[in-house]
Amino acid sequence: MAAAAPEIAAPTFSDVDRSVLRVMQAPGVLYWVWIAFCFTLVAIGAGFWTRQIYTGMGVTGLRQPVMWAVYITNFVFWVGIAHSGTLISAILFLFRTRWRTAVYRAAETMTLFAVLTAGLFPLIHLGRTWFFYWLLPYPNERYLQPNFRSPLVWDAFAVSTYLTISALFLFMGLVPDVASAREQAHGWRRAFYAILALGWQGTDRQWRHYSMAYLLMAGLATPLVISVHSVVSWDFAMAQLPGWHSTIFAPYFVAGAIFSGVAMVITLLVPMRKLWGLEDLLTPWHFDNLAKVVLLTSLVVTYSYATESFMVWYAGDPVEQMTFHMRYFGPWGWMFWMMVLCNCVIPLLLFSPRIRINLAVLWIISIFVNIGMWTERFVIIAGSQSTNFEPSQWAFYRPSITEIMITAGSFAWFLGLFSLFARFLPIISMTELKEGITWLRQALRKDYAKAA
Amino acid sequence: MSGTVEIIATFAGEEQCVGGIEALRAARAEDFHVFAPIPSEHIEKAIGRRRSPVRAFVLIGGILGVLTGLAITIGTSREWNMVAGGKPIISWPPFIIICFELMILFGGIAAVLSFLLSAQVPAFESLPGYSSRFCGDRFGVAVRCEETEAQKIESILGVAGAEEVRRAQAQPSAAIVDLRDG
Repeated sequence: MAAAAPEIAAPTFSDVDRSVLRVMQAPGVLYWVWIAFCFTLVAIGAGFWTRQIYTGMGVTGLRQPVMWAVYITNFVFWVGIAHSGTLISAILFLFRTRWRTAVYRAAETMTLFAVLTAGLFPLIHLGRTWFFYWLLPYPNERYLQPNFRSPLVWDAFAVSTYLTISALFLFMGLVPDVASAREQAHGWRRAFYAILALGWQGTDRQWRHYSMAYLLMAGLATPLVISVHSVVSWDFAMAQLPGWHSTIFAPYFVAGAIFSGVAMVITLLVPMRKLWGLEDLLTPWHFDNLAKVVLLTSLVVTYSYATESFMVWYAGDPVEQMTFHMRYFGPWGWMFWMMVLCNCVIPLLLFSPRIRINLAVLWIISIFVNIGMWTERFVIIAGSQSTNFEPSQWAFYRPSITEIMITAGSFAWFLGLFSLFARFLPIISMTELKEGITWLRQALRKDYAKAA
Repeated sequence: MSGTVEIIATFAGEEQCVGGIEALRAARAEDFHVFAPIPSEHIEKAIGRRRSPVRAFVLIGGILGVLTGLAITIGTSREWNMVAGGKPIISWPPFIIICFELMILFGGIAAVLSFLLSAQVPAFESLPGYSSRFCGDRFGVAVRCEETEAQKIESILGVAGAEEVRRAQAQPSAAIVDLRDG
């Protein structure tokens, strides 16, 4: 006998406020243990970085010919993670996509912290970190200027712009929500939210200018997100190195970035939904749509791998063919096949609608995608250098404990910052959920229908 | 001799609020402002004010960004001639990338600054009639009128579906979630 259909939820504006603000109530001991764990790892990573600065780059595994490896892999990985945030917050905003409303703030927050994490790695990789400003054009007594024909200089401009625009975009979106939080807060929190809310009162004048500024920011962020990962890909594609010098790198990297970023959104949102009781706002409908984006971009990435390999075979360049042979069957070959498994095979499970709304399975798939995309960057970056033009130059790269611990520290840094934000600022946009409250009600109805 | 009064109407929903604004405008009461917890095209249309000047600022910001990009790339290349591989000193294709990034950067900064200027934020004082619920779940219309017209305005807003029409200062509403320090 079928169970009685559950009552259809019809959240109101107050329900939305209540659900989102509840997450921001004083956190418990477990939360602080988690934060302490993250920042202990960060401190360990910082210690290894300090040792690297003091001792020199010899403490890393970087040796000729592999001079770009884990650090640059991390840089590309984190920039890629950032991209889905802008995709969800800006591009899907312009298309008025309904399901983005509940997930975009978390994705945007992820973007900001991912770019902040990515930005650390060129500095760490630089060795003499204190000379980072040499990439910027500034008046100096020797009239020395950066070479604007170098993709590394393009990268400095692109990533700095991306960080600034992402931060401004996130901050603008927060203003009306923080004003709501201000009205419910006391003590230092009230003062903190009052400062961030800029005296927001939701007047018609404020909304009129806000809406226009937000729309235009979204319009500016859309081409920016495409350009930034294209520029990152040109760091490699502009070089002559076999395995890097490819014209498909820009679209291939952009698709990979969205793929890994959306997977990271799922990785963060599934536990957040469960731990903080956000089931009434983050419904399986939202995850179903996120999973579809992962599936689509997985297919694009798979097609890119196939095209890349086909081009190498069809071009007939023996040096490039050997590089790819070593990529498939060389010392790091197992990483290539792991990448194929994680990025091309496992996401095919998402063709099943049941799996797309089974959040435990979806979460595990998203972790595989994260591993696969980190591996992809490593295979391209370190693998291509280790089997250079001349076999006499070939060398096998092995990451050192310094690189491993700094990488672990970067993940902890990202997760720690995200967790702090999520607990003290609205991690779901109350304003946009209220705007789309009809869609949320429909989503909840659909879920109950599926559950029944 | 009569003075001016501030009448504040609270509406439960967007539709009723739009109805109230349209009724006010039909009665030629134009000195009002609206509070809303969400951006609303319907409210904006009903108010009928001109579009935001933020667009013009963003355009100017974008153009300034491109010009700055050109100045930086061409200026520094001319100052430090780096002749490599027969490439021209002023190489347009790579310079366009810098110009593009600066166009976005300056345009974005212009969007935020012009929003702050046009919306007059940070605002250090609440507008008359503001209630904390207007950032939460209620819409509000605050009308300034002559005391002699107050009754007529109150009646218009009441007929339009206002939950509450009052002349006094807003009372803070009860908190729905207690956000206290840890």
